[in-house]
Amino acid sequence: VPCVSGDLSKPTNVTFISINMKNILQWNPPEGLQGVEVSYTVQYFIYGQKKWLNKSECRNISRTYCDLSAETSDYEHQYYAKVKAMWGTNCSKWAETGRFYPFLETQIGPPEVALTTDEKSISIVLTAPKKWKKSPEESSISMQQIYSNLKYNVSIYNTRSNRTWSQCVTNHTLVFSWLEPATLYCVLVESFVPGPPRLTQPSERQCVSTLEDQTTALEVK
Amino acid sequence: QEFQFGPCRVEGVVLQKLWQAFWAVKDIVQAQDNITSVQLLRKEVLQNVPETESCHLIHALLRFYVNTVFKSYRDKAVEFGILKSFSILANNFFVIVSKLQASQEKMFSTRKTARRRFLLFHRAFKQLDREAAVTKAFGEMDILLSWMEKFYQL
Repeated sequence: VPCVSGDLSKPTNVTFISINMKNILQWNPPEGLQGVEVSYTVQYFIYGQKKWLNKSECRNISRTYCDLSAETSDYEHQYYAKVKAMWGTNCSKWAETGRFYPFLETQIGPPEVALTTDEKSISIVLTAPKKWKKSPEESSISMQQIYSNLKYNVSIYNTRSNRTWSQCVTNHTLVFSWLEPATLYCVLVESFVPGPPRLTQPSERQCVSTLEDQTTALEVK
Repeated sequence: QEFQFGPCRVEGVVLQKLWQAFWAVKDIVQAQDNITSVQLLRKEVLQNVPETESCHLIHALLRFYVNTVFKSYRDKAVEFGILKSFSILANNFFVIVSKLQASQEKMFSTRKTARRRFLLFHRAFKQLDREAAVTKAFGEMDILLSWMEKFYQL
């Protein structure tokens, strides 16, 4: 049923939230219509092409987000998306995003962090985050394959002295030496890529204790 | 920190500053480009460029940006209050072009294929209204910087 366009105010804050190329379009309900049974329809556009395209799973939906990861999976293209609100026979004008460039705008998620300890050192092994994929059967692509200049900002915090060191690394293994024995250290790692400013997501803080100093342990016996 | 476009080396340009300058104005600039069905820096222009051609191509593109795009866009940059970012980009592009000038003149063998790529861009530019084309070219600098990043070594 065609609706009367423009009688409803537009959805607001229409934007892509993108992490590891999982690209979700999200928006806020039109002003003054929070809590009202509003439905939404989404379209997207590939910059340089001719037509707006429908996303069938996001037609007449009541939620305020739409997963466009598959439609925007060629990350070297740029895209636009738009959404309109409908309520009864009234509908809003389209509310549009700016130009979205996944290659430059996706947030690089944190790496996997594996820690092993010694008396005075902690070894850290990092595994680059995985790119979003359409289905579990699809082979995994590491974000490292997309961003050859992917780097990591590793921070280690001594819970006894309250001191923190940070180191920027490109390789996936590093060792923090000259640590204090039998001390709890906490590690935080962030991925980043040179280029335009991006939001970052640090890893969860992981804490491990260095081992007892064996020499003093023997003397005690 | 330097660019290495095949045999051509360019030192003294901090790419991160160009990114920050463009990113600060990206939304303003791209919002002025209403011809979303046309992309000037298409994949055919910048994808799979052999290293040997990269010097010619980047020289041709940046010289065009300096002599045409920035020259024509300056008044708009003043109008939209983005002169600071505009100047950072324009000055750095001018530095790169000047530094590329000498080295790319010595290479004749790869000029033709690089030229063909540039002409794809230039033809698309010419087909648009002048002001719209300049606005679009300025708005596509993220595509250009993204390609240049591949030749940048910290």
